[in-house]
Amino acid sequence: MTIPSLHLFVQTLILGVLVGGVYALMSSGLTLIFGVMRVINVAHGAFLVLGAYLTYVLFQNLKIDPLVSILITMPLFFGLGWVLQRYMLSRIESPEQTSVLVTFALALVMEGLLGAFFQTTVRSVKPSYATEALVFLTYRFPVTRLMGFGVALLIMLLLYLILQYSQVGRAIRATIQDPRAAQLVGINVTIVSAFTFALGVSTAAAGGSLLSMIYSFNPSSQADWIARTLSIIVLGGMGSLPGALVAALILGVMEQLTAIVITLYWSPIVFYFFLFFTLIVRPQGLLGEIIREKG
Amino acid sequence: MKSRIWYLLTSIMVISLLVTACGAPATTAPAATQPPATEAPTTAPTEPPATTAPPIKVGASLPLTGDFSEPGTAAKKGYELWVDVINKAGGLLGRQVEFTVYDNASNPDTAVADYERLVTQDKVDLLVGPFSSRLVIPTSEVAAKYGYAFPEPAGGAPHVFDRGLTNIFFCQPAPSADQAIPFASFILGLPADQRPKTFAVITNDDPFSVSVVEAAEKLLTDGGLEMVLKETYPPDTKDFSSLAAKVADKNPDLLVGGTQFEDAVGQAKAYQQAGYQPRGIMFTTGPGLPKEFNEALGAATEGVFAPISWFEASTAETNPEFVAAYHAKYGEEPIAEDSANAYTVGQVLQQAVESTQSVDNAKLIEEMHKATFKTVVGPLSFDELGQPKGSYMVLQWQSGKIVIVGPDFAKQADPIWPKPQW
Repeated sequence: MTIPSLHLFVQTLILGVLVGGVYALMSSGLTLIFGVMRVINVAHGAFLVLGAYLTYVLFQNLKIDPLVSILITMPLFFGLGWVLQRYMLSRIESPEQTSVLVTFALALVMEGLLGAFFQTTVRSVKPSYATEALVFLTYRFPVTRLMGFGVALLIMLLLYLILQYSQVGRAIRATIQDPRAAQLVGINVTIVSAFTFALGVSTAAAGGSLLSMIYSFNPSSQADWIARTLSIIVLGGMGSLPGALVAALILGVMEQLTAIVITLYWSPIVFYFFLFFTLIVRPQGLLGEIIREKG
Repeated sequence: MKSRIWYLLTSIMVISLLVTACGAPATTAPAATQPPATEAPTTAPTEPPATTAPPIKVGASLPLTGDFSEPGTAAKKGYELWVDVINKAGGLLGRQVEFTVYDNASNPDTAVADYERLVTQDKVDLLVGPFSSRLVIPTSEVAAKYGYAFPEPAGGAPHVFDRGLTNIFFCQPAPSADQAIPFASFILGLPADQRPKTFAVITNDDPFSVSVVEAAEKLLTDGGLEMVLKETYPPDTKDFSSLAAKVADKNPDLLVGGTQFEDAVGQAKAYQQAGYQPRGIMFTTGPGLPKEFNEALGAATEGVFAPISWFEASTAETNPEFVAAYHAKYGEEPIAEDSANAYTVGQVLQQAVESTQSVDNAKLIEEMHKATFKTVVGPLSFDELGQPKGSYMVLQWQSGKIVIVGPDFAKQADPIWPKPQW
């Protein structure tokens, strides 16, 4: 247990907020999919890692910057998500129960395939600016994290604008509020579900690209990431996008502070601590009232 | 309905907890990441035996994937080269050598199961060890249970030798804790105005790394340096930014890192991001990999120190032949220390078999305790616990290459001090 100096404390807050922004993007797709379909996509962590590998391949072979590769991976993942939802998940009976098992199986299959292709060697994408940092008033902002934070906020802003102002966004929100009523007023819930799932998976592509340059990863990292992102959306309130943002920032900061004040050994515990705490004290999460169950 | 959802959710949480907890270093691959193809043993191509005698079977389990995949793969190259060389020279006791290696994915449980399988199902005649103390400690128990000699390339932590086993032979020049000695002597030998005053110890929680850095800590503290920070992190840590911020805040003159490979790279990158510039930095493992370390860090490698057991230009008896054979088989890439250590294991085993004229493991164990072996790391002999009785060297990265900077018997160049800007 060490009491950090003020400078170190502020530096830690900065690192925590930066990483929190990236966590928020990583969790946004998961919470969105749950909001619309009441499906917990356990394969979300695997999609993140798949996105990271795709970024890695594009960087190693074609020298495409990890941030630029988001423009390629996001549409690809959108298509992948669409196909998976339309031809696999939508065919499951009582998806609220069984989708967990199906997506868990999907995660294991993806992990296995990635292991077959890439082995379990730990990889990371190292652009030329990987070790650089901007200095502002003696505080350091690592370039990869700063850019990751910026891109994460940008994509979440786009997501918010789509949900708030586009036709399909309105349909998504209507479906979140009440699928049956939405159907009655002429919303094609089938298409909305496919669109949402595809959108959610495509955010994992972007999250994966950021992951690839900030962290090192291997196929089994997916278990770690699904645990983190699930903790975030439970704390934030399942289905709530602003909740995910707030929770991600809280957990990002707490994780970094734990490393400084106690020890890095305890950092991973933070997520589970908050998870149990939330489930016991406020099971609907911080901003969870939006997703009250119908019927 | 609501309660059902939450019941479901809670159960997933528990499952995901279990998944991560069981896999505890998250990188130890669960069964699913292991394609069936890698399960199958790869058997070194053997030329048709010159005589009708059955081949001598040698078995190992190595971390070919996972946390230790780089050094594990290097060790495999060393073993396979040894088998090649021996078979080309007519085999061992006139019999061809057949080498079976399994991938344990850096997982101690898998490694134990692999050695059980090698002894009970594959019925190998001889065993050689895996990479690193973490895997050597449990697997050496299996070898001891069946009475096998267990020469091994990379398990030198104190706990390897304190369990009363007599079948272990650590085929490096000295026990792990001694790795710190040449580096500490160099630091303490610097003129007073250049000598660092403070240091930090940042280590992963691995028996090997911890033993080396704690020995360094004691030597440096006894020498009058002040330790301003000591941190231990889990071996699968991926994010070093907060740790680096903490180090930068204390700004120690000297940094002693207890690392494997990935975390050495992770630490170095995070220190650069955090703006921490040490006057000297040493990592236990990682910098010894001539190709991978350079690829991962580029110019930032300049001035990094590490202990090392072997170097390519060494003129130790049999080393030039080893180096030539290695390049003939694998091309011009620089040779990793771990390949040389694995080759050393082969040399010890071979000479013990030849002098006892048998593959009787009881006789081999006896022979290994008393003989002195000609190896690529120099003449090697073992005490009653299997600890080697030589000395390590210290390397430094200079202009993108590894050079030996001490002790005097092996020195290739003067050390650079202090470390240039990252």
